[in-house]
Amino acid sequence: MFWKKKRLQETDPNEKSPKTVKDLIAKLKDYPDFTHFEHRGKYLNCWISFFQSLVNIEFVHRDVFPFLYRDDVRNLNDIQERLPIEKIIRTRDISVIQTKLLEGYIVIQIKKSQAECLVVPSIRVKGRQVEPPEVETSIIGPKESFVESVDTNINLVRKRIPIPQLAMQEFRVGKVSNTRVSLLYLKGIANMENVNTVRQRIEDLEVTSLLDCNMLSQLISDNNNSPFPQFIDTERPDRTAASIYEGKIAVFVDGSPSALILPTTIVEFFGAFDDYFLTWHLASTYRLLRLFAVAISVLAASLYVAVLTYHYQLVPKDLLGTLITSRSSVPFDPIMEALVLEGMIEFLREAGARLPTKVGQTLGVTGGIVIGTASVQAGLTSNVLLIIIAVSALAAFTTPNYRMGTTIRFIRFPFILSAEILGLLGIILCFTFLVCHLLKLTSLGRPYIEPVYPLRVTDWKDAYFRLPYNIQTTRPMFLRPGEAARANRKRNIEKRGKKWTDIDE
Amino acid sequence: MKVKTAGALIILVFLSGCLPTSVIDDILMVEAEGYDYIGDGKVLGTATMPNYVESGNQGGQGAGLPSTAAMMSSVSGVTYDSKSLIDKFQSKGQRPLRLGKVRIMIFNKRMARHGLKKELDFRNRDPETGRDMQLAVVDGSTNKLLTAQYQTTIPVSRYLTDMIDQNQEQNYPKSNLHQVLYSYYGNYMDPFMPMIRKEGMHLEMRGIALFRNDKYVMTLPEKNVFLFKMLFEKFNQGVYDYQYSPGKHVVIRNVYSTVSYKVRNGNGAEPEIFAKVRLMGDVRQSAPHLLKKDYHTKVEKGMERDIEERAFKMVEMFQKKRIDPLRLGDLVRSYTRQFDGASWDERYPHAHFHCSVHVNIMEMGVSQ
Repeated sequence: MFWKKKRLQETDPNEKSPKTVKDLIAKLKDYPDFTHFEHRGKYLNCWISFFQSLVNIEFVHRDVFPFLYRDDVRNLNDIQERLPIEKIIRTRDISVIQTKLLEGYIVIQIKKSQAECLVVPSIRVKGRQVEPPEVETSIIGPKESFVESVDTNINLVRKRIPIPQLAMQEFRVGKVSNTRVSLLYLKGIANMENVNTVRQRIEDLEVTSLLDCNMLSQLISDNNNSPFPQFIDTERPDRTAASIYEGKIAVFVDGSPSALILPTTIVEFFGAFDDYFLTWHLASTYRLLRLFAVAISVLAASLYVAVLTYHYQLVPKDLLGTLITSRSSVPFDPIMEALVLEGMIEFLREAGARLPTKVGQTLGVTGGIVIGTASVQAGLTSNVLLIIIAVSALAAFTTPNYRMGTTIRFIRFPFILSAEILGLLGIILCFTFLVCHLLKLTSLGRPYIEPVYPLRVTDWKDAYFRLPYNIQTTRPMFLRPGEAARANRKRNIEKRGKKWTDIDE
Repeated sequence: MKVKTAGALIILVFLSGCLPTSVIDDILMVEAEGYDYIGDGKVLGTATMPNYVESGNQGGQGAGLPSTAAMMSSVSGVTYDSKSLIDKFQSKGQRPLRLGKVRIMIFNKRMARHGLKKELDFRNRDPETGRDMQLAVVDGSTNKLLTAQYQTTIPVSRYLTDMIDQNQEQNYPKSNLHQVLYSYYGNYMDPFMPMIRKEGMHLEMRGIALFRNDKYVMTLPEKNVFLFKMLFEKFNQGVYDYQYSPGKHVVIRNVYSTVSYKVRNGNGAEPEIFAKVRLMGDVRQSAPHLLKKDYHTKVEKGMERDIEERAFKMVEMFQKKRIDPLRLGDLVRSYTRQFDGASWDERYPHAHFHCSVHVNIMEMGVSQ
């Protein structure tokens, strides 16, 4: 009774999918950007139809139409032979004609009602130029990022992997949208089990439209009830190429300026590609710093709430005075105080993300002042908590991956609430829950927190810390790659020769 | 099913969220407890809590409590000696009193002589308080000590604990609640605590109060505390004053001191205990005209003999009083197979204690 709803009659009963080319053209004729005209030449009469908004009109005028006037062009056969364009299709299949027409091909018929058509590609590609990355900025690395066109993106990757083994598969996803989805991997190195899993998941998708690669990521993820992203998305071609070299699979979606890399472990979300450009000591330190920042971000506010509400014994005696005096003017419990401040920070971040850039800049300053001093002076929050929340917000932003960063910020709220209900025990329960969830999580069926559980010591060389390149002679065991060795270590040592020569040798 | 279970769990958690809280600024944290025995199984108890609000909130601009608001900083009252003081005082506090940050418990001599059995027992059971809390005996009234004015303005509980802590870094042996309970509940050993006295406007350490089980027996004078600690544990930073001839003193600060024991004839009627002490130290203060070679001949040898003699006398006194704060009985037990524990109390006074000390003076300053 409540669930039934009168729906609009979905389709006009008179409207049927077109059976013939004539029907199709009759249907499209009314659209202002559809061009359909008869070409009358000395030797050839034909009908030409295309979408002005989809074809490269300059190309059509310059390179296609002149051929129709030549004296050796008399029929479709001649056109197909003489036109210096590859991939001309000659077909009677109405579905092919329809899709190609809507992709920006031009259709040439001899007679209006004739079923046999020549489909000539003349797609107009309009899009962004390749620009420096904005999300995953790098200080010394390459300044290229993916754009919305899948062809450009694949070009950016192929350029970095110039070998025939770089295999590519293409799918059409979306019943209506028919979006191009491309799969790139290295034959012989990528595990075929992984490739087949991805292919099967993409082929089995039941969606009407697919607009972005992060949508695809959620659609094909192992557990879509998890707040954790299971596949990493990147806008850096260099990172994508490096992952393909490792034996991972890259997925591109037309219209999306990022690539999906799969499968992924959780530690990869905390590695920035810049780590590979710094010496290994620095890179390892920064990776550990980021992981430490995650721990702070998740636990700092909830520990504050738990300790101040239940566990006053834990506060060192020299800190007691500071905490008590800073809290003495606050009318709320620690939980309310923390939620108010966390809320303010989240408002600020969300507003900053949604507002136009120019407004956003002023917002940052205003928000900083309001949150920083005014709320303390008004007695809404205490000084100490202000520092804790600010640090935990800052720490969450050190995560290089945006989707992971939002997850980190999200999961601290359950921690704060359980800290209020059960104190430190609540935090522990919540943490146990989180760990259990992570233990069960998989990415393409591969364990998500792999170097930790199951323990794979060989994979630690590029997880929490990045060891020097001469030690990284094997591909990650996590991927079960076809060829495990990256370089022959023995030969490597031989070539390098004696380890120590005299200083002036 | 899963959803239902999860829903039920969430409802359970939220409906039962009525745990008593102790929000840090809404409670009074007791930091020191004092017990004065007034006879007839009754004690006068005193509890102090530091007053944090006096300094006010700098950023608050007038919000919250005014900076002059003085909170109750100590309560006292008469109660049965077994009862936890705090429950008794709960009716006197303007905010709930909480015990978790108790740093020190002090007892007056009469209370200590009466016995601390009940106090130690309930403190042992209490999961809320820390095991690193200090216990001390006061020569005088604990109530007066805790409520008096001192030269310093920091709370008296901090003053007391800081004083004891820093002394235990130096001459005094470590004795917190954990140590006391270990000696009290352990076999063949007796607890000890520092002895404190209020002297005018300040406090001072007055030696070590020695117990037989839970009852105070005697005080070890301050000049013997170094020897006690030397025989009790490995330590450094202690100060020893040696008078090598009348009116001439050499003061040594030890850099390192170890003690090792050996036991012979542990089950015999007269067990023999050998203590071997190695002591290395710097000269902190000395009489003039002492030459380098004098240190090795006169000072070191003399000091060794002096320490040996005094240590022997000290242990002899323990034996006479039948107290064992040095845990010698436990030591003998650990060196003896099939130790005869039942007769130990009889044999302890007849044990022979031998102490050999080796002093090594490492730095003596510019002497020439």
